[in-house]
Amino acid sequence: MTENYSAALQTIINEFKNITPEITNTFIFNKNCEIVASTETTTENQNKKLINAFNDIADHAETIGEVETLTIQGAESQLSITSMNNRFLVNVSSHAADEKMVKMLTRVIVPTFVKLLDQIPELSGNELLQAKNPEVKPLEEIVPPIEQVTQTAPIPDMSASFNSEPILPEPPVNQFMVEKIGGLLVPSDVVRVDSEVIAKWHDIYGDKEITQVHIETLEGKAIMCGFKPIKEASNNGKGIIQFPEKVLQALQTSKGKLVIVKPVIPSQGEKSVETKNKRKHN
Amino acid sequence: MKKVLKQKTSASTTETVFTDQVVITAVDDENSVFTRLSASLAEIRKLKGVLGYILRSNTSATLDFTEPEKITENAILSSRIHDSCQEITKQFNLGQTESVLVEGENVKVLCMSIGENNISVFMEKNATHSGIIKRILM
Repeated sequence: MTENYSAALQTIINEFKNITPEITNTFIFNKNCEIVASTETTTENQNKKLINAFNDIADHAETIGEVETLTIQGAESQLSITSMNNRFLVNVSSHAADEKMVKMLTRVIVPTFVKLLDQIPELSGNELLQAKNPEVKPLEEIVPPIEQVTQTAPIPDMSASFNSEPILPEPPVNQFMVEKIGGLLVPSDVVRVDSEVIAKWHDIYGDKEITQVHIETLEGKAIMCGFKPIKEASNNGKGIIQFPEKVLQALQTSKGKLVIVKPVIPSQGEKSVETKNKRKHN
Repeated sequence: MKKVLKQKTSASTTETVFTDQVVITAVDDENSVFTRLSASLAEIRKLKGVLGYILRSNTSATLDFTEPEKITENAILSSRIHDSCQEITKQFNLGQTESVLVEGENVKVLCMSIGENNISVFMEKNATHSGIIKRILM
């Protein structure tokens, strides 16, 4: 774990107080009992005692499976410990804190942030592991031979890609909770997305045609598929995405799970090449 | 067939023997709380998703689990949760502990202390623990 990694975690926990001032103390420790980031409102001794007490529980928790969360409701404050990718987030807040907000921060936002950080090898130090890992596939296995590429893909008209293409903003990433839809008229490969979110995408990308979304589960399964707006007005603005059975199976997910969704934005070059190729075929 | 194991220490038996003779004392008060909690937990035990419970006072203990072979492990875990959370509560000035919820990968445990009685209810992860807290406090 690098210093940059700790700094990134420190930044996000420092923001906790701005979001919910009732949060009095937050820190993150790892499996080696080292404190990775802390708001420094408690002493090291206090934190060490908490880690020891938590480890004492975790060591005897075989009967219930690995401990995912521990919540203590005290008369004055509440404390929660949330497990996230071999690290543990400790959060203390007063009863005046918005419970939903605290849960969202400790159970959704920070764990997702940590997961994303872990995917950046320069920050998590995973590049060293990869270099040492003898099972890393050789480049030839990852990149198909050139002959194969030429056989399957038509050579694009390169002149088309030299257009003065404006730089598009990065696709916005949204997190939704999965709901299941079914019925005879429901296409099996089309998901339904919050219409407000779709409207925002159109605001960002103007007349760009967005026909597909990229969906990724917290476990790392990802697919691209078509989408439509959610039909029922009452289901909009609730932070949900509706999946037909086939998509649920493809992502190996279920109702109530969280997924990360972003629009697939075709670049200008791709679009004009596609159009030219279509014209050639005609 | 579901196996149910109930254990009571000899102290509680002694109390039962003297019940007719002794007027209400502090010990009887505690005993009546234990009896009331025992009855509540027996009802909670019937709820869907509840896998078992432990009720322990200084002198008595009642354990009732769907899987009796896990009783020892569950009792040790329950004891660790009560002791460790007491330490955490003290260190972080959380005030008197109202409830503790430990969610494992497969099962969650709700722990509460009512007077000298420590309660641990083991349940499936999708079971509603807030309803159980209310029933215990009723």
